[in-house]
Amino acid sequence: MEEKIVEEKSALKEWIAWARKGNWSIPGYRIVEAPKGPKLGETTTARYMIVERPHGVTYQHSLGLVSKFFEGLLNKELWGAFCPKCGTTYCPPRAHCWNPDCKVVETDWKRLPMRGEIWTYSVMLFSATAFMEKLPFVLAYVKVDGADTALPMQIKGVRPEDVYIGMNVDLNFVDEPKGDLMDLYGVPSGKVEPPENAALQRDPESVERLKGDLEKTYEFVLKRFGIDNRIR
Amino acid sequence: MTRVAMIGGGISRFDVHRREVAEELVAQAYKQMLDGMPELETKDIEAVMMSYFSDHLNQQLCMGWIIQDYLGLSTKPGYRVESGGSTPIDAIINAYFLIKSGYYDLILVPGWEKMSEVDTAKTNEFIAAASDTDWDFTVGGYYNGYYAALEVRHMHLYGETEEDLHRIAVKDHNNAVVNPFSQWVSQHGTGKITVDDVWDSRLICWPYRSLNIANISEGASVLLMASEDVAKKYTDSPVWFEGIGLGTDSMRPGDRLANWAWKGLYPEDEAIYPAEMAVPKTPYPEMANFGSMRVAADAAYKDAGIEDPMRELDFAEIFAPYNGVELTLWEDMRFCKRGEGKTLIREGVVEKTGELPTQLSGALTAQGHPVGASSMAMALHIFWQLTEQIPKVYGSKASSIQQSGAEKALIQGHGGTGCQGGVIIFGRD
Repeated sequence: MEEKIVEEKSALKEWIAWARKGNWSIPGYRIVEAPKGPKLGETTTARYMIVERPHGVTYQHSLGLVSKFFEGLLNKELWGAFCPKCGTTYCPPRAHCWNPDCKVVETDWKRLPMRGEIWTYSVMLFSATAFMEKLPFVLAYVKVDGADTALPMQIKGVRPEDVYIGMNVDLNFVDEPKGDLMDLYGVPSGKVEPPENAALQRDPESVERLKGDLEKTYEFVLKRFGIDNRIR
Repeated sequence: MTRVAMIGGGISRFDVHRREVAEELVAQAYKQMLDGMPELETKDIEAVMMSYFSDHLNQQLCMGWIIQDYLGLSTKPGYRVESGGSTPIDAIINAYFLIKSGYYDLILVPGWEKMSEVDTAKTNEFIAAASDTDWDFTVGGYYNGYYAALEVRHMHLYGETEEDLHRIAVKDHNNAVVNPFSQWVSQHGTGKITVDDVWDSRLICWPYRSLNIANISEGASVLLMASEDVAKKYTDSPVWFEGIGLGTDSMRPGDRLANWAWKGLYPEDEAIYPAEMAVPKTPYPEMANFGSMRVAADAAYKDAGIEDPMRELDFAEIFAPYNGVELTLWEDMRFCKRGEGKTLIREGVVEKTGELPTQLSGALTAQGHPVGASSMAMALHIFWQLTEQIPKVYGSKASSIQQSGAEKALIQGHGGTGCQGGVIIFGRD
């Protein structure tokens, strides 16, 4: 069975060249003296040679039957899937319903509104390599209005210490979507009013501490990447 | 059917960097075991069940073949188990199934992980490849973030504070100071910490500070498991598997708001939900609790004939890479009701002198967490506890954590955000 390219935007040439650079070859090494042995108090010293072994690769990964969701991001549209049998609406979408009673029936697509509610979140002050320069940021699970599950996204336009569970958010697209979830982010809609039991704000001392910690991270990112991520 | 026992094992200490390669670390742990069991002939080992989580942290597929030949066991049947953080407990339970079924009588379970060949941020990224990379990973998520978000939900619903989490950190680190395999001791010495030290440690992702989190680790451990008849050939004091249970939950935690497989399974827990909160389609476990571990614990309790874990268990080793996970799991494993985890730390129930001590080894946040080796090390801690060998293995200062007369203990392990895991009840005659 053949496949036909409908649309393509490829950066493969550039990345293949990058990935090939240094693959499995050893550009450097160091020799160290370090402990040997299984138990503290009984170790000796040994010499170890540590080699550098770079490795890189580009995957060509299909997003499967929920590709419509990601294509939707490119077109600044938000899509969910709903089950024709039990009516559950999934965002993230599933091509088949997981309700055991529905016996993996195929779902249908449904356009979703650009608003939702923060179901839970954390404030990231350290991250994986790919996201370091965006620190600090709020990673939230947002229940999009009309959906029954929660979609992970970043929350912007609000100081991290003001975010709370139950906060209503408007969903926005970045100016130039690339087709992954970073195209979508939430901003507070309306008044920012944490409820009395809010996990963070119920203790004013916690808020002050978090602000102090955030400041250190803003400074670190500014120094390291020249980017000021403070919300004004 | 035969009973199944653990009869010995060894650990090669956990640390940020271990410069021996994986097979050498496993050999050190294996040698420690053999030195303690002079009557054991290595040829009597019938099969090897290998536990390691990652291929990409070391750029090596089929690492198990290297381990097995290095130990001189290359003629023996070998198996590899991989299920993220659940890997080591799954390896132990798989070996249990093989012995219980009568297929083998003596199985070696080696586990290891080398996690520091790439830098910490990259290791986090590689580990996060065990989350759904199309969805949860792409928004800057990795396990610190996912677990913190789950904990924030639990805090919001049930009211534990950051200080409660820090008290758990203090308990776990201070238990570890007598443990000669502990990463914490290697890095920071044997001084005890206070809640203020936890407050002073770096905030990684709110609400977790560095002392609330398991660090990147390297190390190895091996466990030797036997059928009843064979166990008695090698030891007078085997530690028995009295019950096992396994459980699973969804890959993406955000899907747990409408995970129909759970609907109605635990109505009591569904009802323990604050009145003012919007209720999801499936209120237990949703994103607040670890339902997979409820399923596993209930199965293990049934298997072991345990009706009241708080009363019948003497201590427990919980797989908690973050302190909030420990607190939440006390609820899911029925040490207390949903929402009451905070009282167990506030009232000292889980301290080493309390009614049900947890993490006497220091566990993941203080003993260390080389993923494939973690649960075997925790199981061995239980073995040494139940055979009253803690002071002998750890040194005389460790008599402070020896639970003299203890008869029953629980170990729990899981992977992902509670996507899969198991529970084992151990006991002695």
